[in-house]
Amino acid sequence: MRRLLIIVSVVCAAADCWGQSFDIRVPATIVAGDAATIATTGNGKATFYLVGPGVSRKKDVKLGEEIQVHPEDLRNAGAYLSIVCSDVCKRATFYVSAATPASLTFLVHPSRVPVSQGDAVSGVAFPFDPFRNLVLNPVAIDFQLTERGTSALSFSKAVRTENGVAWFRTSSGKSAGALQVGATLDGVSARRVVQQVASDPCNLRIEGQRTPLGMLVRTNPIHDCTGNPVPDGTVVTFTATEANGKSTLDVPIKQGVARAQIAASGGAVISVASGVVMGNEIRVGTRP
Amino acid sequence: MSTIAGGPVRRYRPVSGLMILVLLVAFPFRSNAADSTVRVQLDATKIGPRAVEGLTEPAVTRDYRNAWSSLAQALEVNSLDSIRGAFTGDSQRVLTATITSQQKSGLHQRYLDQTHKLVAVFYAPEGDVIELHDTAEYQQEVLDGGKVIQNERVTIHYVVLMTPSADGWVVRYLQAVPQF
Repeated sequence: MRRLLIIVSVVCAAADCWGQSFDIRVPATIVAGDAATIATTGNGKATFYLVGPGVSRKKDVKLGEEIQVHPEDLRNAGAYLSIVCSDVCKRATFYVSAATPASLTFLVHPSRVPVSQGDAVSGVAFPFDPFRNLVLNPVAIDFQLTERGTSALSFSKAVRTENGVAWFRTSSGKSAGALQVGATLDGVSARRVVQQVASDPCNLRIEGQRTPLGMLVRTNPIHDCTGNPVPDGTVVTFTATEANGKSTLDVPIKQGVARAQIAASGGAVISVASGVVMGNEIRVGTRP
Repeated sequence: MSTIAGGPVRRYRPVSGLMILVLLVAFPFRSNAADSTVRVQLDATKIGPRAVEGLTEPAVTRDYRNAWSSLAQALEVNSLDSIRGAFTGDSQRVLTATITSQQKSGLHQRYLDQTHKLVAVFYAPEGDVIELHDTAEYQQEVLDGGKVIQNERVTIHYVVLMTPSADGWVVRYLQAVPQF
């Protein structure tokens, strides 16, 4: 009896009759959109399951034959679990990585920026493959900034992606107008436009003349410190300080200048400001 | 116990119902909900180029936890309802495809007893996207109908992109990788 048990055990071990009669082998690396082959050993019928990002499959297979996984089931990068169930279930995990970059997600800020501001423009780029998988292998992205009316680049820098992202930060240009911001990677490019506007007024000056109704004051053409005209609609504040009090008047710039009629009958000091920028003062004597 | 017309009558005692209720609350039936805990820790000390603001860190942690709770529920019951709001963009597209595919194959997945150790690796200069590395550990069950065909505790690494939404942060991209 004891001898019979030993013989049965040896035969069972050789034939794997405890349900360990097959194995599965998955590829080490798969690129998104490629087909894959999963090898099995053993014989008999089994059920194959594939569970991964965007896919859940179940089909009958024969052990000992290769299982073909179609490219459309392997489009999403990530972890895939392959399970083969016969009398027992066996599993193996494999990873699908992103294919080569086919598009760039490019975020640029801000959409509108004053000229000559330090570290005012920034951009972040993420490379994606044709199946919208983030490309995590390092790639070099060229960032280029070009101001309107010039062919020369105001900024150019190649940045290698780290963890699937590359970014830059730089100053705004000197001229008001469109700033073209581009990101390029092996023929794949993305473009954005930042509108550069004049910065704060520079050398804000007023002059005035007496009228029957008081004082007519007007500014000189208002520019920022790099010569860009400050946009119409920007508010300029005139302040008249008289012996009996102070009055202010907010006026938008029209056609590059701001004008105001101030009813000052006595002596007054008239000053001008726009935002945080102060202009000159003029003194007006008592009306004769 | 009293007798009426010679036969024994069991009188209803309100306290018995109350005791049952107390026992149910104290010792609930074991259910998947008991295992659906999602623990999330966030380390934002190595991040750049922007530092994470004081209010952003707990918001990201809270919304990432909610996202995984929603994901687990969606993949268990094969319903798209719970992932709305927590996922957007590519992550929502992939999850929707997974659930639709599971509905056809008859498979379900359970993600139980989850622990997520997040390291924030990138926070955009304008704060409009944050990249996280998640070392996730959970009990993963795959079911064919009611039959469990896979049940294992696994550790998976995820690359995550989250973006701000109207009232929090949403998962825009979620991808498992072999290693960071």
